[in-house]
Amino acid sequence: MAGKANHDYHILEPDIWPLIGSVSALTFTSGMVLSFHPELFGAASSFVMWAGLAGLIATFFMWFKNIVVEAQRGDHTPVVQLHMRYGMILFIASEVMFFVGWFWSFFDFALFPTPLTYDHTTGATTSLFGEAGAIAAFIPEGMEVLDPFALPLLNTLILLCSGTTVTWAHHSLIHGDRVGLKQGLWATIALGVLFSSIQAYEYSAAPFGFGGNTYSSAFYMATGFHGFHVAIGTIFLAVCLYRAYLGHFTPRQHFGFEAAAWYWHFVDVVWLFLFVAIYVWGGWGAEYH
Amino acid sequence: MATTAEGFDAHHDQGHGHDAHDHADHKPGFFARWFMSTNHKDIGTMYLIFAIIAGIVGGAISGIMRVELAEPEIQYLQWWAQFMGGGNDLNTALHMWNVFITAHGLIMVFFMVMPAMIGGFGNWFVPLMIGAPDMAFPRMNNVSFWLTVAGFFSLLFSLFVPGGTGPGAGTGWTVYAPLSTSGSVGPAVDFAIFSLHLAGAGSILGATNFITTIFNMRAPGMTLHKMPLFVWSVLVTAFLLLLALPVLAAAITMLLTDRNFGTTFFNPAGGGDPVLYQHLFWFFGHPEVYIMILPGFGMISQIIATFSKKPVFGYLGMAYAMVAIGVVGFIVWAHHMYTVGLDVNTKMYFTAATMVIAVPTGVKIFSWIATMWGGSLSFKSPMVWSMGFIFLFTVGGVTGVVLANGGIDDNLHDTYYVVAHFHYVLSMGAVFSMFAGFYYWFPKMSGRMHSELLSHLHFWTFFIGVNVIFFPQHFLGMQGMPRRYPDYAEAFTFWHQVSTYGYYIMAGSMVFFFVNIAYALLAGKKAAANPWGEGATTLEWTLPSPPPYHQFETLPVITDAHDYHDHRPVTA
Amino acid sequence: MGQRHTRMKNAILAAIAAGLAAFAPLSVAAQVAPTTTPVEATAPAAEAAPATAAPADAAPAEAAGTYTPMAPTKGKGMPTSYEDGALKSMTFQDQYSENGKYAQWMHDGILMPVITAISLLVLGLLLYVVVRFNRIRNPVASRTTHNTAIEVIWTIVPVIILVVIAVPSITLLARQYETPPADAVTIKATGYQWYWGYTYPDHGEIEVISNMLDEGEAVRRGEPGQLAVDNRMVVPAGVPLRIQTTASDVIHAFAVPSLWFKMDAVPGRLNEKLLTIEEPGVYYGQCSELCGARHAYMPIAIEALPPAEFAAWVKAQGGSMPGEEAAAPAAAPAVDAAAAAAPAAAR
Ligand code: HEA
Ligand code: HEA
Ligand code: CUA
Ligand SMILES: [Cu+2]
Repeated sequence: MAGKANHDYHILEPDIWPLIGSVSALTFTSGMVLSFHPELFGAASSFVMWAGLAGLIATFFMWFKNIVVEAQRGDHTPVVQLHMRYGMILFIASEVMFFVGWFWSFFDFALFPTPLTYDHTTGATTSLFGEAGAIAAFIPEGMEVLDPFALPLLNTLILLCSGTTVTWAHHSLIHGDRVGLKQGLWATIALGVLFSSIQAYEYSAAPFGFGGNTYSSAFYMATGFHGFHVAIGTIFLAVCLYRAYLGHFTPRQHFGFEAAAWYWHFVDVVWLFLFVAIYVWGGWGAEYH
Repeated sequence: MATTAEGFDAHHDQGHGHDAHDHADHKPGFFARWFMSTNHKDIGTMYLIFAIIAGIVGGAISGIMRVELAEPEIQYLQWWAQFMGGGNDLNTALHMWNVFITAHGLIMVFFMVMPAMIGGFGNWFVPLMIGAPDMAFPRMNNVSFWLTVAGFFSLLFSLFVPGGTGPGAGTGWTVYAPLSTSGSVGPAVDFAIFSLHLAGAGSILGATNFITTIFNMRAPGMTLHKMPLFVWSVLVTAFLLLLALPVLAAAITMLLTDRNFGTTFFNPAGGGDPVLYQHLFWFFGHPEVYIMILPGFGMISQIIATFSKKPVFGYLGMAYAMVAIGVVGFIVWAHHMYTVGLDVNTKMYFTAATMVIAVPTGVKIFSWIATMWGGSLSFKSPMVWSMGFIFLFTVGGVTGVVLANGGIDDNLHDTYYVVAHFHYVLSMGAVFSMFAGFYYWFPKMSGRMHSELLSHLHFWTFFIGVNVIFFPQHFLGMQGMPRRYPDYAEAFTFWHQVSTYGYYIMAGSMVFFFVNIAYALLAGKKAAANPWGEGATTLEWTLPSPPPYHQFETLPVITDAHDYHDHRPVTA
Repeated sequence: MGQRHTRMKNAILAAIAAGLAAFAPLSVAAQVAPTTTPVEATAPAAEAAPATAAPADAAPAEAAGTYTPMAPTKGKGMPTSYEDGALKSMTFQDQYSENGKYAQWMHDGILMPVITAISLLVLGLLLYVVVRFNRIRNPVASRTTHNTAIEVIWTIVPVIILVVIAVPSITLLARQYETPPADAVTIKATGYQWYWGYTYPDHGEIEVISNMLDEGEAVRRGEPGQLAVDNRMVVPAGVPLRIQTTASDVIHAFAVPSLWFKMDAVPGRLNEKLLTIEEPGVYYGQCSELCGARHAYMPIAIEALPPAEFAAWVKAQGGSMPGEEAAAPAAAPAVDAAAAAAPAAAR
């Protein structure tokens, strides 16, 4: 558009997707509120939420599609690529702070617990606040947790492994080995899916339910948000794989791939903290399932 | 630094007035231009219009509040409760109070000050001041804006659905658990929480955009240490947003799951801790108050320098004082929680850490005065608002230092003294700097001159009005008047009445503001590229007013002569 | 100390008040509004009567007939209106605890002069540059942008001022956090939506449920409206009290301005702090954390009695003094009370 611009920046055409995306986001969040309150809005109200979600997904799809088209068209000059790097790093920094919030609550509960009892059969937690002689423990008396050195450890190894396979793909790409790129990505995606499957199995087999007490609240929300990020990262890598098949990416210009890899490493590091803090240290001394 | 607008190379390349007829001024059609915008100036304009609308709404709500508070007992709340679709019982009426203060606080903070300063002035002038053609991510810029609008709508929705003992979210802008969880049944609080999620997401994306723009798109030769202070202020603000908002997002997500999915983050029955929410909130909330003032600091620096015809005094100290305020701002949050039952060492630490912030802030105040010292001051409207800012912000700042003392705050916490403190820094600090910036840049943005007479009338009447509103609130606070009360003991009546009269003065003064805008747009003189004279040295004044749709198609080159802390005579 | 500074402060406040009072006449116009209220203006006060949620088993105060609520003293333990004392209405309530007096001294003697001086300094400098460096008197601007000496000064001097503030501030905190002596009288204040409950674990678990009196009833009893309650929190004067706070639903805050005392009542937590009320009297306070609709309608009234009368009150509530069997009528109350009230040093 910018006819005779004498600079390398990317001046964009007007675009409808920001507006659609925001309307969809509002529809999605409002729909969620409606579905939280079926007593007022009826059970069918979750339709609004799904509509909003569909709009959001469409927005993401079109948005990234446009970015890819622009990249292929050559709009991403070196300085624009640098923008993308900054953007991605800053986005990941904000994600780190998001997880800081969840770890903060976890450590608050773990370090300053309140006395609780847990009924294994009903899954109900009772606070002993104010009762004489009640002993505070993070994991309520009677509650079992997951054995960190069983599936969680396996999952740790899977994610670490996937960190190496994504690096394998990256090296292949840099050296012009497109077969290696695809293989590395396939392997990474497969490991990501495996991780998510094992995580889903763990959730379904966990000896405690969602919420009810601080351990299970912090556990499910922190690992759950991590799982959500794994899913996003996996999709991101899958898009890269698809683009690899389309012949995108050159050894010199492949920021889309690099961003996915950075994101994947970030997700990996968060898991290491989750594993060490919540699974190993947090469950230390409690009954393992 | 004697650089005048004519000193910039950009000027030699482009020359005044030519751009206006260039290809660069080709604008898209109405819908594409305003609903699909990827242009930083148009998006900035939309942010400003949005902020003015939000300011009117938030200001009107504060009027409802002040009128109710003019007398003890409940006068009008029942009427409002029915108006909003609630019942006629007292509890609904009292709930309406909480809804009003919540909406007022949230609207003023998230939908007036932040959009105006960062979204509005930041979008307009960061690219112009660093010599960039636009923002780094123009499309993302637009989604930041529309997400803010979406957030505002979510807050509006909350007003019309049940939220406890009546319609609307009545939790205070701090949304403390468990009042906001088990204490407020109904969807209103959910809508309010999502409002923060949406606006917050918009702000995080905006922050990413500003940091990238400032780091990567400075014109050749413009090192960080030559950047105008307004750009510095937005840079620091953007970092605060980027690092503080996600923690709020986590905290309010916990509120949501506690409310709807049975988690017990803040529910003691499951071992949760209501005070944890306050830690998370204020870890965001304190940086947030600096988010609301730092861009103001930046604008004041530009304006004072312009109208003193002098470069800013102690440029580096000014820039790094803001960095220091930003950094220290992250480690003082618990001064909002002195009465929750912190242990003595924690309280001592937060007392000491909080007071530290007075030092870099003092550096700024004194450097502004030193900038004026020896200058050749002309008291144009932006300048008088800036000088008003310096004084009133100081008054608000020093009462902050009083509150910083944990032992003193034991008496003042949650009283009107705190209300007085934060309105001095916000409704006078932040708002004065916004008006200063508005009058400073209005000719540039619109291409029209406003009336200096009306802006001066606006200043003086507003100055008197807000002082009459908020100064007596110090007295009320010290006498023990608690905040968030729609009704009070008779003894507090007098100062509450005075405060309400102040509101009328202030409200009347806003007429000058709106008439002035209307006058300027309809009949204002055409503005020159640089209406403020030789003191205005930053790049935006090298462009015509209003600037072309796409500016700096050839990047300006900044030479050593433009060094902010260089006081050699200019050789250009 | 205090004296001189108080006078200085009052002078300043008076000056400001004079300025503000100039706007008072405008009030006449505005006062018309409330009378035209569309809704029954009297309804709220009536409806604000005691919350129905109050448990019925609260000990009736009149039971033993030995206790009659003390009449409050105007201007003591309650806010002062502008009409009753312009200057008094513009500053802190008089303090009736040692820490309160220290804190008030710190505010009036240190903070207030310092912040007033800083504000006036900034105002003075601004006015000076307006007069001295305006375009007409100073047509040619200087180009000074640095002066290391002055920059160092305006960094160091605030640091020194802050250190001067920090010393008494830290001292105040240390004093406020003194551990209550073992024999301190424990009172647990529990916040409910929207009233207070006071229990006395050392006195046979007396429980007092305290609801706001409606305006009319308060005035009939000679008490300030919105602050008066049906059953007060009665405590001994001059004796260390261990105040504990907690809440059963949402967060409330137990606050009494004339004792410089404020402590949040948080569900799932028990906060504790030492308080010694220096002399008998009635001290009013109000809930100071937003707790829902009737946040403004759950006041606090502390009645501090001489220890002997406190013991009598305990009796009247069906409680017992520590060391005494519950409801054992034999021992002479006065003697026992005196023993209980003996300062910590005696043990
Ligand atoms: C723009 C917003 C803004 C700004 C800039 C500030 C600035 C400061 N604030 Fe304020 N504050 C708020 C907005 C802001 N605040 C809000 C909204 C609340 C209430 C939130 C709620 O509960 O709803 C609040 C509440 C609040 C509290 C909690 C009170 C309570 O709830 O009990 C405290 C306590 O420490 C505090 C302290 C300070 C301090 C020390 C500063 C310092 O940064 C001030 C520094 C400035 C100066 C000191 C003046 C200039 C300096 C000099 C001239 C140098 C010489 C000075 C000295 C040596 C003292 N603030
Ligand atoms: C920026 C923040 C801001 C601003 C400007 C204001 C402005 C005002 N506030 Fe606000 N207030 C808060 C933030 C703000 N407030 C917060 C956070 C709370 C706490 C809420 C809570 O307890 O949870 C609060 C609470 C609060 C209370 C206490 C309520 C209570 O505790 O019960 C009162 C009472 O008088 C009050 C009054 C007023 C009044 C009369 C104004 C007037 O000054 C209003 C006049 C209007 C304006 C000054 C706006 C004009 C601006 C524009 C029209 C936009 C211009 C735009 C451009 C130039 C681009 N406010
Ligand atoms: Cu209880 Cu406010
Ligand atoms: Cu703060």
